[in-house]
Amino acid sequence: MSAHSHVEGQLPHEPEKATLEGRNKILGFWLFLGGETVLFGTLFSAFLALRHQVLDGPTADELFDLPLVALATALLLTSSLTSVFAIHALHTNKVKALISWLIVTVVLGLAFLGLEIYEFTHYIHEGHGFTTSAFSSSFYTLVGFHGAHVAFGIVWISLIIMQLMRKGLTVVTAPKTYIAGLYWHFIDVVWVFIFTVVYLMGKVV
Amino acid sequence: MASNHTATEGSTKRYKVEGPKKAIISFIFSVLLTFLAFATVISGEINKDFTYIILIGLAILQVFIQMAVWMHMKDRGHTFAIIGILMGVFIVFTCVIMAEYWAWW
Repeated sequence: MSAHSHVEGQLPHEPEKATLEGRNKILGFWLFLGGETVLFGTLFSAFLALRHQVLDGPTADELFDLPLVALATALLLTSSLTSVFAIHALHTNKVKALISWLIVTVVLGLAFLGLEIYEFTHYIHEGHGFTTSAFSSSFYTLVGFHGAHVAFGIVWISLIIMQLMRKGLTVVTAPKTYIAGLYWHFIDVVWVFIFTVVYLMGKVV
Repeated sequence: MASNHTATEGSTKRYKVEGPKKAIISFIFSVLLTFLAFATVISGEINKDFTYIILIGLAILQVFIQMAVWMHMKDRGHTFAIIGILMGVFIVFTCVIMAEYWAWW
């Protein structure tokens, strides 16, 4: 039985923090995000050091298309907001709203990923392959790692949606949903630095 | 098990569920900061070094707002979360400064 004094059969307030396991999961996840910060930070520092080494390949200024980046940014930022709504539905114990907002988040994530795949194939046609130059290698590693995180997040949140549909909102499923929300926000936070450092700073000549 | 204690402590004490109002305000701020960043680059009025400073400043501000409000870092009980992230940020700054030093000198 739960160590908290709440009415039987009723979900406690902030169900993601109701059990020790849930609290430990959130704490552990924050430390993981600290590690993720280091992962992306090292990729950013490599990109910053190598971004002018273009050899015969196209430069950042020739390559990047700002309207496309603005669209990708809008998609990811909106998906971050919809995951805030999902966590709000979690806190007010509205399972249907929670699942719906998570589905919207996943769909927006898929749209972002599709746009990124289109962008990468377009760049390869422009002669900007992975091995073209130090700039292209560090660009694909950094932005590709972020894209891989988005792909992983889509799979993860989809599995959580399935679990919520089958088991409903409990003190077991709530922490899982909450940390998936944190992960999704973190992806957006990384993207803020990517569109700033990679795309916008690449367009400043 | 819960039958003999009052069992009402949790239900009578009203917990305030934070509404999505703050989340929407920070979304508007994020859109605004993003727009400013794009506008700064597209207008191209400002010189290179100063543009870099503005862009990095806008990005840090936006990330700060999103982490505080959307990721609940401003709420109680996030001391270790802040410590974890700050340790990461410390290593990141070391790496970035090292990389820039290596690339420019």
